[in-house]
Amino acid sequence: MMFTCPELTFNVDHGYLEGLVRGMKAGLLTQTDYRNLAQCDTLEDIKLHLQSTDYGKLLSSAEQGLSVSLVDSRLRENLAAEFNCLRSNALPQLSTFMDFITYSYMIDNVVLLITGALRQREVSELLPRCHPLGTFDQMSAVGIACTPTELYSTILVDTPLGQFFQDAVSESSLDEMETEILRNKLYKAYLESFHAFCKNIGGATEDIMCPVLEFEADRRAFIITVNSFGTDLTSADRRALYPTCGKLHPEGLQLLAKAEGPDQVKAVADCYPEYKEVFDTPEPGSDYRSLEDRFFEQEVKLNTLAFLQQFHFGVFYSYVKLKEQEIRNIVWIAECITQRQKSKINSYIPIFM
Amino acid sequence: IPHCLVNTIMKARLKGAQTGRNLLKKKADALSMRFRQILRKIIETKTKMGEVMREAAFSLAEAKFAAGDFSTTIIQNVNKAQVKVRAKKDNVAGVTLPVFEHYQEGGDSYELTGLARGGEQLSRLKRNYARAVELLVELASLQTSFVTLDEAIKITNRRVNAIEHVIIPRIDRTLTYIITELDEREREEFYRLKKIQEKKKQLRARTELEIAERLAKLGPIAEPVNMLTEEADEDLLFE
Repeated sequence: MMFTCPELTFNVDHGYLEGLVRGMKAGLLTQTDYRNLAQCDTLEDIKLHLQSTDYGKLLSSAEQGLSVSLVDSRLRENLAAEFNCLRSNALPQLSTFMDFITYSYMIDNVVLLITGALRQREVSELLPRCHPLGTFDQMSAVGIACTPTELYSTILVDTPLGQFFQDAVSESSLDEMETEILRNKLYKAYLESFHAFCKNIGGATEDIMCPVLEFEADRRAFIITVNSFGTDLTSADRRALYPTCGKLHPEGLQLLAKAEGPDQVKAVADCYPEYKEVFDTPEPGSDYRSLEDRFFEQEVKLNTLAFLQQFHFGVFYSYVKLKEQEIRNIVWIAECITQRQKSKINSYIPIFM
Repeated sequence: IPHCLVNTIMKARLKGAQTGRNLLKKKADALSMRFRQILRKIIETKTKMGEVMREAAFSLAEAKFAAGDFSTTIIQNVNKAQVKVRAKKDNVAGVTLPVFEHYQEGGDSYELTGLARGGEQLSRLKRNYARAVELLVELASLQTSFVTLDEAIKITNRRVNAIEHVIIPRIDRTLTYIITELDEREREEFYRLKKIQEKKKQLRARTELEIAERLAKLGPIAEPVNMLTEEADEDLLFE
């Protein structure tokens, strides 16, 4: 724990990596890059444009069959490679922090593998479809279990995710749980644990990361509420999925659990100045931005703030998130171009600092 | 075989062939009308299909933007079909056409997908693709009826033409042949009768001549006694 002058000791262990990350962040696409990409007419043009950015020759080996999904997977692999390069050089505290970042992808992979194992699908089919940032050692062994509970007790308990399953397993049997509910429960446990870890580190990391994680928690609470209208999810079930590390806890979450319609959700949001804006109805004439888009924009804003301070771990988290958003943007532009729907091509989330 | 009876039979057959031809022509006309209707609907549906598919593919891109890659979760969760297709039969002028209609079975098992991210886009995506599937099923029924109708129309037209150009002329020709034969035979009969009458007359004339000759040859013939005019009869002993 660095109470006194963290700036002095930080660089000893983590200075090199922070420098690396800042260098990589400088390579994120800029306004002109995005404008150039939006003006392309085919995927080939996009490939050409990307060669002049930091992506370089990434796509040049794909001569035939250049498709949007190929672009997507290549970019994602690139991000995973960068991340692993940073991770392999990280020392403790930073290494734990970076592991925490990978857990969210691991959760997605684990849920995917569980569903696949339930339906007796071949594990070798599922492995290539897992997110590269979320790999863990026991992944290929998943195929031997037949039910989720067995899977949990034999394999998952040993993975870093084992701790997150505690909450889920104790309440009801894993077998009957719907995969989505399981996913959200795991994520809730993960967020709360990550938040506690950052608070533990203290200092600048806490100042940067905690607001970001709180925002993530509240955003999940809002979106789960809005999406559960009209489905079978009861409000008690819903309540169990809200992460408690956000600003909404506890009063906001209670109100949200009771909400029955989008208006009530908006009423809850109005009590919190940061979220009031997100739920505001846009003036007529401006583009329609969906709720998701507005949350994305907020997230990007919070993440860019991380780079204004030095000597903390937040830059790594923000870099991963911003890079992810960039991949999403590029894939969106590519899809618009291939489907010839250029009208909405500018609906990507701008990441400019 | 030229016969009166056969004549009547042939006339009846001709009548039958003509009625048959008219009925078939009416059937062919009804089928053609339905055919043209279906063609128009197919064109309409196909253009709509193009639009709907485009929109659906774009909403897929939007959903992927907001929710990340959910394709693998969906594929892994596939269980039974939620939308199924039933085939019914429709009858048009005697031709059975298959008609497909779709129906939903079971609830929406992907209700909770995208609960934490992109739920709105996912539900829009589901709606768009549901509409696309509906249109596809409609298009499928239209196209099968199109093909079936096409064949039915060809067959009917072939039959109409066959009757018109082959059967009826054949019957016509047989009929005329029979009539001519019958007429000929009548004339023959008539001629024969006439000839026989002549011969009979000649024969009678000759026999009369012979009788007259023989009578004249016998001379004055004693006339036999006329019993009625006799006054006394020799045979009567007692009077």
